[in-house]
Amino acid sequence: MLDGLWDTWYTLVRYLRTFVHNPFWMLILLIQPLVWLVLFTQLFQSITTLGFTSGSYVQFFAPGLIVMLAVFNANALAFRLLNDINYGVLVKMIATPVNRYSLIVGGLLYIAVTWVLQVFVVLIVSFLMGARVATGVGGVLMTFLIVSLLGIGLTGLVAAIAVTMKRPEPVVLIANLITLPLMFLSSILIPAYLTPQWIQDAMKFNPVNYAILAVRPMFLTGFDWTAIGQALVVCGVFALVAIFVETAAFRRFGG
Amino acid sequence: MTNIVETYNLTKIYNKTIRAVDDISIEIQEGEIFGLLGPNGAGKTTTIHMLATITRPTSGSARVGGYDVLREPRKVRAITGYSAQEAGVDEYSSGREYLTLFGHYYHLDNRTIRSRVDELLELLELTDAADRLVATYSGGMRKRLEIGTALMHRPQLLVVDEPTLGLDIQTRVRIWDYIRALNKDGMSILLTTHYLEETDKLCDRVAIVDHGRVVALGTPDELKGEIHGDVVSLTLPVEEPDQHAQTIEKVRQLLSAQPFVKDVQPTAEALNIYVDQGGVAVPQILRLLEASGLTVGEIALARPSLDDVFLKYTGRKIREEKGKAVGARAAWIRRPR
Ligand SMILES: Nc1ncnc2c1ncn2[C@@H]1O[C@H](COP(=O)(O)OP(=O)(O)OP(=O)(O)O)[C@@H](O)[C@H]1O
Ligand SMILES: [Mg+2]
Repeated sequence: MLDGLWDTWYTLVRYLRTFVHNPFWMLILLIQPLVWLVLFTQLFQSITTLGFTSGSYVQFFAPGLIVMLAVFNANALAFRLLNDINYGVLVKMIATPVNRYSLIVGGLLYIAVTWVLQVFVVLIVSFLMGARVATGVGGVLMTFLIVSLLGIGLTGLVAAIAVTMKRPEPVVLIANLITLPLMFLSSILIPAYLTPQWIQDAMKFNPVNYAILAVRPMFLTGFDWTAIGQALVVCGVFALVAIFVETAAFRRFGG
Repeated sequence: MTNIVETYNLTKIYNKTIRAVDDISIEIQEGEIFGLLGPNGAGKTTTIHMLATITRPTSGSARVGGYDVLREPRKVRAITGYSAQEAGVDEYSSGREYLTLFGHYYHLDNRTIRSRVDELLELLELTDAADRLVATYSGGMRKRLEIGTALMHRPQLLVVDEPTLGLDIQTRVRIWDYIRALNKDGMSILLTTHYLEETDKLCDRVAIVDHGRVVALGTPDELKGEIHGDVVSLTLPVEEPDQHAQTIEKVRQLLSAQPFVKDVQPTAEALNIYVDQGGVAVPQILRLLEASGLTVGEIALARPSLDDVFLKYTGRKIREEKGKAVGARAAWIRRPR
């Protein structure tokens, strides 16, 4: 058990150390959400005139972007794993007594850490642009929790595909096939009532939508405990399923 | 003497059709350097992967240090060091960081890790490059680092897939020296190789594998001893390229029919003729060929080598199989095993 915790820690440290060796990557990682934030708020500025939100589009969009970052990061771990597979690193790790779950959870935590850093950037910049988090620090922490679970679910699934396929091309295709619809079939970009009925129906099966429905009110008005409860259950189950699927993929990896 | 490795009818079938390892039963004694020798695709890596608990056997079983690879894989991993065929190194970390990571994965304490890392970097002559990114390492340095990761926990059994593949001769000799030194300290070693010289110089016993089966097993001397007498190697000059194959076949039939010839094996560039006494056979062969109006390119007499043993059991010459280079390789081209 204790070994497992240390294994997770050293796996996480190994991934994070990449940024020490490549500070430039870190820079890109932090600039990326800024670009989205500026582009989207400018592009969709006029939507606020439709009158669906009290504040500015930044206020509406910042929570959406925070959820979206979890979706966009979904294949980041897959690419680290594919690299480890291609260079024969993963096969060597599997031959050591390292805990299997630690290899997986360490990777997922690494993605969560990069995501949290990106969120800080978004929070600071949207604050400067006039957006406020209605529920304060508590809302921010709850947002971290919900979206981390969502991110772990998405990342784990794509990682499982990567470990099974062992090649980058199909993973890119499949990841896009999964993540883009998940994003568009949610109220990240526009509120649900502005979309056709079938999209609103589809949203009921989309963990991304549960996350945004819980997170957005925390930014705009206040805690919506029903939405938060649903989001925690849906995203929590999703994360567990993904870890399970990824573990199964790891088990099958060596053939 | 106890066995460090025992396999019982070990078999691996990929995609229901490819018999990568076909019913291998071997015993490797503690303290032995044991070699698996075979051409590309013989099933060496697959065998090693099953012993290192990376790949699950389709049927049969294996024990390492008395532990079953399927039932007690964690115990097997704790006493086994696995070094991969194509250097498995992390380009994004330094050599020191990479060795340290493996120390942690083997659950050693920090003090032990620090001293082992220094010791191994020294032994593998990587001290100067220790803090550089592995991305800047040469193929030979990567291979040495790779072997280092397998030694962090001083395993009872070191499993090395092609320890010197693609390395220059100095590095190769140095790695042989390391392996011998480790073995002297009591480590059992299982290695695979394409290089007959490697088996000859290094291994206490060798299993020749072909198409997933062990076709011969013994000490290098025993194996060579199975081929009695001498080997005459004969080449014919290529006069008419179209007719060359026919000519060779004609010579093969002619010689096979002679009572003093035990066997004739064509190879890519020569005919190997197995005889009891080379000194007597050579003039006889020359006379025969001359009488049939055939010209001789070169004729040479040799004591049997492992090469000939290999040829005898597989019908192929091992050196025709080229080794793959380690080190620089285009990303994504290799299909990982
Ligand atoms: N993951 C896999 N899926 C399908 N077939 C495989 C897989 N791994 C190996 N094989 C097949 O199994 C056979 C044995 O392969 P293996 O890698 O064990 O040979 P080898 O003796 O190590 O060869 P080499 O000298 O080239 O390293 C080959 O025919 C190979 O194509
Ligand atoms: Mg091999």
